[in-house]
Amino acid sequence: MSVDDEILRGLYEHTLRGHAAEVRALTEQGIARGIPPLDLLFRGLLPALQEVGRRFELREYFVPEMLVSAKALQGALALLRPLLAETGATPTGKIVMATVKGDLHDIGKNLCNIMLEGAGFTVVDLGTNVPAEAVVAAVREHRPPLVGFSAFLTTTMSMFKVNLDALARAGLRDQVRVLVGGAPVTPEFARAIGADGYAPDANSTVRLARQLLAEVRPEVETAPEGALP
Amino acid sequence: MGRMTSKARFLAALAGQPVDRPPAASIVSVATYELMDLAGPHFPEANVEPEPMATLAAAAHERLGFDSVMPIFSIAQEAVALGCEVDWSESTMMPNPATHPWADRSAPIRLPDGFPDAFLEDTYVRCAVEAIRLLKRHFGDRVMILGKVMGPWTLSYHLYDVQEFLYDTLMDPDRVRRSLDTLQAVPLVFAKAQLEAGADAIVWADHATGDLVRNTMYRDFLLPYHQALVPQVPAPVILHCCGPTLDRIQFFREAGFAAFHFESQVPPAAALAETQGKLRLAGNINNPVTLFARGPAEVRAEAQRAIDAGIHIIAPECAVPLQTPLRNLREIVQTCEANRTR
Repeated sequence: MSVDDEILRGLYEHTLRGHAAEVRALTEQGIARGIPPLDLLFRGLLPALQEVGRRFELREYFVPEMLVSAKALQGALALLRPLLAETGATPTGKIVMATVKGDLHDIGKNLCNIMLEGAGFTVVDLGTNVPAEAVVAAVREHRPPLVGFSAFLTTTMSMFKVNLDALARAGLRDQVRVLVGGAPVTPEFARAIGADGYAPDANSTVRLARQLLAEVRPEVETAPEGALP
Repeated sequence: MGRMTSKARFLAALAGQPVDRPPAASIVSVATYELMDLAGPHFPEANVEPEPMATLAAAAHERLGFDSVMPIFSIAQEAVALGCEVDWSESTMMPNPATHPWADRSAPIRLPDGFPDAFLEDTYVRCAVEAIRLLKRHFGDRVMILGKVMGPWTLSYHLYDVQEFLYDTLMDPDRVRRSLDTLQAVPLVFAKAQLEAGADAIVWADHATGDLVRNTMYRDFLLPYHQALVPQVPAPVILHCCGPTLDRIQFFREAGFAAFHFESQVPPAAALAETQGKLRLAGNINNPVTLFARGPAEVRAEAQRAIDAGIHIIAPECAVPLQTPLRNLREIVQTCEANRTR
């Protein structure tokens, strides 16, 4: 195994285990050796994050394991982001993300953001407790093809519909595909309120975002998982 | 069997004894906009003033027929008294902690000066205790009056921030244990104050849920605290934990709780089997789909399924969405009534 391959392998293993210091050191080492940033991202870091997501779906990993891996990845992304910008790689697509009004929980949304960003999406994160007017304003400003809403409470998930209605009133509903998710949310609930898709976790969110993006922009060829954008 | 009072029915169910019909319960919150319109008080005053709080809680029995009343609609009383900032002014949402004093890693993990006296004197803590006192005066021994506390795990989410806390369960477990150690006194003090004011049992919310952590994390971190704390509460204690929890009932049943209030993600019969007769069960009518979006027929079917499975106390799975139609909440009570023994 070449030194470069060892670095990529190390990035995978240490991201999977959430070893932030090692991931950062290996990323620095890879950059210094001239490994292309896209290789560090798509051959080392993201396959690890996809594996973390897969283990989460299988309930082998839980939120703490996802958090430590995501934090390790963020350290590497901070180093890679400026270099990736220089390569001129086209982002997969843009998505506005928000936790609905009345809900201050952001853990699920943050994990989705990290996975989406890792998969090449540009994420506009509006934060938590976001009123529908702010979502409408963000859609007007950023013109994303996708909007994602998160709610962690059974008492706040009804705000999805408030947001969908606000987008419709603003004449923007047809311009975006809307994803919803959060601990109490079900596919049936998502259908009932008129969302375009439901994702139970961060990994599924990336898959759903790719699928909905392909619907709304068939001319844009979206990269398959693990491939270069 | 003769007709039981609501309180006698609830207590009997909690003890696994025969009942004239299954109790229908408000365990966490059945406050809704429609109920506020009927009863008079709305949020935010029903969250911050004892009389409106007690009046809205009483409506769960007087307007809907539930066997229990629960005045503490939110989860934020303790958090604000311990230093979290909470916006109590909203009329359309439940108050939640917005800041987390221990999220700053340089912040010392300790209770505010003057605990427990200053804690018990806090406006929002006192409001909850006073509301219970008013309910006791109003209902006497006719209706089951429930109090509610947050356990040390959920309080850690509030003081420490959920994300930081969960991260530290792997990366700094000693700090997690310091947090649990420090916070363990809070639910005991608050529970005892509520019981002295007239609560008949305590709902103990501790969200070591399968949505967030593996079951062994409950066993290794939280179970020892529950085993030490719950016996010190001089009344039945009902554990509330959201989400998928089937894999941890095996540990809950060893903690000393009288009952476990569980969600619809857990099949009732499977939950019951897991208790091995050591815990009574309360729940588990689905909120977001059945109670919020469907009609009485679906509520009736789901409540009947829970009764048929042997669930002891029939209740919504968690705090109901504020827009939940009252006809659906009433249907829970009517289904329990339809199961009265002849």
